[in-house]
Amino acid sequence: MESTYVTLLSLIVFLPTAGALALAFFPREKTDAMKTFSLVVTAVVFLLTVIMALPGQGGGWQFDAAVSEMQKVFSLDWIPSFNIRYFMGLDGISFPLLLLTTFITMLSMGASWPIQKHVKAYCILFLLLETGMLGVFLALDFFLFYVFWEVMLLPMYFLIGVWGGPRREYAAIKFFLYTLLGSVFMLIAILMLYFASDLKLLSDKQLVVANVVSSYVDQAAQAEQIAALRAQPQPIHTFNILALQQLGQHTDAFDTIILGKSLQWWAFLLLLLGFVIKVPSVPLHTWLPDAHVEAPTPISMILAGVLLKMGGYGIIRICYPICPHAGYDLAYFVCLLGVVSMVYGGFAALAQKDFKRLVAYSSVSHMGYVVLGIGVWSAVAGNQFNADAWKMGMNGAMFQMIAHGISSSGMFFMVGVIYDRVHHRNLDQFGGLFAKMPVYSGLAIGIFFAGLGLPGLCGFIGEVFVTLSVWNYSHALAVISASVVIITAAYILWTLQRVYLGPEYRGPHGDHLHPMTIRELAIVAPLLVFAIVFGVYPQAVFHYMTPSVDRTVDDLAAWTRMEATSSPSTADDAQEREASIAQQ
Amino acid sequence: MDPVSTLPKLLGLAWLLPLVSFTLIVFFGPRMGKSGSKAGYLATGAILASCVLSLFALFFVWLPGYGLPAPAHHQAAAESSHEAPAGTAHDAAPSVKAITGDWYTLGKFGSLRITIGYYIDSLTMLMFSMVTVIATCIHFYAYGYMHYELHEVVDHEVKLPNGQHLHRRGRFHRFFQYMSLFCFSMLGIVIAGNIAMVFVFWELVGICSYFLIGFYIERKSACVAANKAFIVNRVGDFGMIIGMMIFFGTLGTFAFGDIDTDGDGKPEPGLFSLVRSEENHHALATPDGMIKAAAAAEIGRGVVPTAEQIQAWREDISPGSPGRYAYWLLITAGLGIFCGCVGKSAQFPLHVWLPDAMEGPTPVSALVHSATMVAAGVYLVGRFYPMFAPEVLLVIAVIGCITLFVAATIAITATDIKRVLAYSTVSQLGYMMLALGVGGWAAGMFHLITHAFFKSLLFMCSGSVIHACHTNEMTKMGGLRKKMPWTAYTMLAGCLAIMGAGIPFSIGLSGHYSKDAILAQALSFKAGNPFYGWLFYVAAGGAAITAFYMFRLWFMTFAGTPRDHHIYEHAHESPKVMYYPLVMLSVFAVGIGWSVERFGIQPLLEQTRPAGILAMSNGVLMPDLVYPSEHASHLDEFHGPSTYVATATALCGFLLAVVFYGLRILDPNEVRNQFQLIYRFLIHKWYFDELYDAIFVQPLLFVARRVADFDKKVIDVFIDKLALVTRMVAGLDDLIDRYFVDGFVNSAAAGIYGVGTWFHGAETGKLRQYVMFIVIGTVALFVLISFYLNSTLAGF
Repeated sequence: MESTYVTLLSLIVFLPTAGALALAFFPREKTDAMKTFSLVVTAVVFLLTVIMALPGQGGGWQFDAAVSEMQKVFSLDWIPSFNIRYFMGLDGISFPLLLLTTFITMLSMGASWPIQKHVKAYCILFLLLETGMLGVFLALDFFLFYVFWEVMLLPMYFLIGVWGGPRREYAAIKFFLYTLLGSVFMLIAILMLYFASDLKLLSDKQLVVANVVSSYVDQAAQAEQIAALRAQPQPIHTFNILALQQLGQHTDAFDTIILGKSLQWWAFLLLLLGFVIKVPSVPLHTWLPDAHVEAPTPISMILAGVLLKMGGYGIIRICYPICPHAGYDLAYFVCLLGVVSMVYGGFAALAQKDFKRLVAYSSVSHMGYVVLGIGVWSAVAGNQFNADAWKMGMNGAMFQMIAHGISSSGMFFMVGVIYDRVHHRNLDQFGGLFAKMPVYSGLAIGIFFAGLGLPGLCGFIGEVFVTLSVWNYSHALAVISASVVIITAAYILWTLQRVYLGPEYRGPHGDHLHPMTIRELAIVAPLLVFAIVFGVYPQAVFHYMTPSVDRTVDDLAAWTRMEATSSPSTADDAQEREASIAQQ
Repeated sequence: MDPVSTLPKLLGLAWLLPLVSFTLIVFFGPRMGKSGSKAGYLATGAILASCVLSLFALFFVWLPGYGLPAPAHHQAAAESSHEAPAGTAHDAAPSVKAITGDWYTLGKFGSLRITIGYYIDSLTMLMFSMVTVIATCIHFYAYGYMHYELHEVVDHEVKLPNGQHLHRRGRFHRFFQYMSLFCFSMLGIVIAGNIAMVFVFWELVGICSYFLIGFYIERKSACVAANKAFIVNRVGDFGMIIGMMIFFGTLGTFAFGDIDTDGDGKPEPGLFSLVRSEENHHALATPDGMIKAAAAAEIGRGVVPTAEQIQAWREDISPGSPGRYAYWLLITAGLGIFCGCVGKSAQFPLHVWLPDAMEGPTPVSALVHSATMVAAGVYLVGRFYPMFAPEVLLVIAVIGCITLFVAATIAITATDIKRVLAYSTVSQLGYMMLALGVGGWAAGMFHLITHAFFKSLLFMCSGSVIHACHTNEMTKMGGLRKKMPWTAYTMLAGCLAIMGAGIPFSIGLSGHYSKDAILAQALSFKAGNPFYGWLFYVAAGGAAITAFYMFRLWFMTFAGTPRDHHIYEHAHESPKVMYYPLVMLSVFAVGIGWSVERFGIQPLLEQTRPAGILAMSNGVLMPDLVYPSEHASHLDEFHGPSTYVATATALCGFLLAVVFYGLRILDPNEVRNQFQLIYRFLIHKWYFDELYDAIFVQPLLFVARRVADFDKKVIDVFIDKLALVTRMVAGLDDLIDRYFVDGFVNSAAAGIYGVGTWFHGAETGKLRQYVMFIVIGTVALFVLISFYLNSTLAGF
């Protein structure tokens, strides 16, 4: 069993790397061959993940949507001296994001055809980037996670810095500095948690759940491993994310006080900073508009479609489950970050004159929903620990990540299509595209409405589910988050009016406005189809993600209940908090 | 046929047919016949089939299944409920229960579900029939009206910079594509089984309205109007989302009726039964969920909420108590939902979008912006009626009353024929809101139906006139009745219907009955709440203004001598495909209010009147607020005077119009000069647009610009400075490295080298080196780390 999974997941993650190596042997002038080859590689990876998603696939490859725990788990020694393992697995939180990644990567490889400069280097970096992204979603060892996180960073830096627009160097360095800063915070937090962890604090059952002890061997063998573990004299530190979650939720390993706050409080804050830079949340978002404006179209698609999701993924997978107490204390802060981003991003988008910058700010606004939905910790004493609203929020946030991945990469592609023709993005110099390019305009309006959150399209489900879930957490935040629908409608409709409607095109190169090519159509059509399918039949996504998301929330709700009932001081805190929320 | 199992299928099919038509036209529209002419057939066929299905459902399934409504013993019923003391008065649940259920789940989280379902009662049946009948007429009419879109169009309202008018391809199929989507969305609102589903289709009709208002995408005014309509509606939706949040957050369900969701054979209570439970005799009470939410602080302290405890909390409404807070939640939630209705039904203060929406083609104005979509707000208030606390109803009444007056006054001075009708629509919607707000559920719903028929008729007649004259300005019309008699006399029927013409206590046109019912209810409300008597007087005054501006319109257009001979010469009657629907609708406009024996709109409405709303009720926070039973308005003491008042005011208005515009005895220009100030105030529509621009639009844009500046001038400058410092430090490191640590050119130096080159930017010449570095680095990283780190380092 385990060996199948090693093969499967390693294949998915490292196939692009293998492709990158193979590309090194391509003759320099065969640019089309290299692009085609890269496209084939990304398509094969996509197919592998699709096969996993299909029901009824035998041979242990099929992702079982009914299982809420980690599946396809394997854990091999990598750097035994630090207890670092080659440890991967999947659950309903990572699997939809994995599919999104392979899908968007494939499409944006298709969107890379106009790239003419240094094609070989481009394709190699592109494929390495895919390895990094896939690895982040699959890694269950914190160190491995960090390595993939960094692996993803470098190609991105070069893809923006070399193939970007006029201010590419500035944008690339800004991107790099911001993300590096996030990584440093993350590294500090990882080490803090590592040195505070001790596997021996966990019960036998928890050790099996966390896969410290292999679940693929029989009980006798497990008992043997556990005994060996417990026999060691010194504390056993671990990078195992699942084990850290168990430690965070069931032991007081991370409760040491440092500088007046608990260790997990600091760890949570550092990790959160690292992740919200990626999301990005206001005020750590200014790398995004610059990076997007300068990045070539396919890289913008990946940036918006996949990279931003890693922030949300990190918060769901790492911040909350490992540091629940800190998460509980800082829940309002997290939600506030989300709401501020929603409002701020929306306002900023309203003022933009550059088409791509506008879409970039709309990403800031839309990703705010994700942070908000994750944070609405409504399973508290006053609600009798009812976690339903929080489940809805977190599911909505996860859905919003998928929906935003589809709609925003579609929006960036649509901007790219028009930029390829007229070489400008000035919103005041468009107009009348509907008459010149009716198919393009129709599809673009569809994609933009998905971003606007129109019912029947994917954006609606995520936004509405998140918004509705906020009331039980905080009335004030709920009202503010509901008001964002007005700003969103304003900036999207105003954009549509300036670009697509009106009597005639007002900018330069009007004679280059030829209709969409088949290649462009083949990229945007699947995006719009999925935008509609997910909007009309959201269960297609929830089917995979809800069990795992619900489990995450249930675990945290159980922790809250335990915490509130066991320690009186915390219970008092909880009441005060409740009272203050109720008064709002 | 068993209605419970048949009706969802029949109406579901009627609902989905326009969607099929929409989908087909999206993909094959341009290829359907010559320039898409067959798309019109498809859309018309689909809505006609929906119409047949709806009427079949009403006449052959609903009526046989549930029998004709019981004969109304209004007098007796009114007497009994009128005399029963407040609090004990209750009425039995209706004999016919709404058919309700779920089709399909959008999301399920724990016990929370968001679904697509249905809620079918006689109101649904009536609305389905009304919408499909009118939509069918309008589709036929539009086939004639939009004919010019079949070939190349020269848009005379768009002037290109080179001085020419815009030439463009016709968009016939696209018009019908949007119409089909609209019909689907509208029927979705009507059949919706929960408030979330209403919201879904609420947004969809909004977007159809956006597309249809902006149908002439080349005209700037049309695009601006479309944006305005959608954004103003979103302001209303903002309130609606808050209302939904409160209901969902505290009660955990969106469903109207009781649906068995977990399959245990016992239906889970929907919103209506949670607020008006059977044990409480369907009287309104703050639901348990809200009490618990309000008492969260108590519960957090460990108070176990038993039924007795909850009841105690509920009864205590002293300031600061959970009971009061919970009741406020109920009020806020109700106001939130009503806020959505204010946006959609163009009520004050969000009425500004509807007159601008007249930029769309006239069939759109007839269907979307008079008969159906704008009435959806009123419909939702009617549908959601059991959830509204008396205090909320009072707000609804006041808003409705203000709207009906403001809009009616603006209609007096407007000269654009469609804008007069638009303001008339706003005003009539105000009447409906007023009726609902003063406790007249049946009166409001009744007026909704009658208004839909005569207002769509009026709009289509105006469209016929515009089709003939190619202008909207009434100041260029006159005497047209000789040229286009069908249009003129069907429109006369419409004007009489909206004015409420009739002989008191014997017979009248449809508007006569519904407006009477509203005034009688307002009078009955006045009896219990003398302080709100002005609601009745404004409504009565509004009736006079209505008659005045409608006949002003008719006389200016059809009577007298032509004002512009060029236009008059070219005017002609519309083709049959356009005026047959007019005749059809004018028949409805005349007779839809009649009740024959036990069959009519009012008895049908009474058949499934929501449980509990007939009882007399009092406000909780405003104990003096008394809501009389609606049946009390049928008592002679209210019905009699109100009928006289209605007839007299309408007659006054009519006579004024005759004096000014029919016989032209008095010159309106003189009056205008006399009252310059008022005239200017009215012609500028009370300066609402200017006001909103100054207090909302400009500040919003200002904030947006400041936010964008903040990014550029504060955050980015900070980051850049930070980068500069980092760079200096890196340079310093580099120096130290070069001069002091010269021997240690190892991994650390490589790192610094990397940082240094990053800051110098990627020079393309060295690109291959970088790429090679990264490739090798990445592939080798895993191996390298394992080799370099030896076990002696471990054991921290």
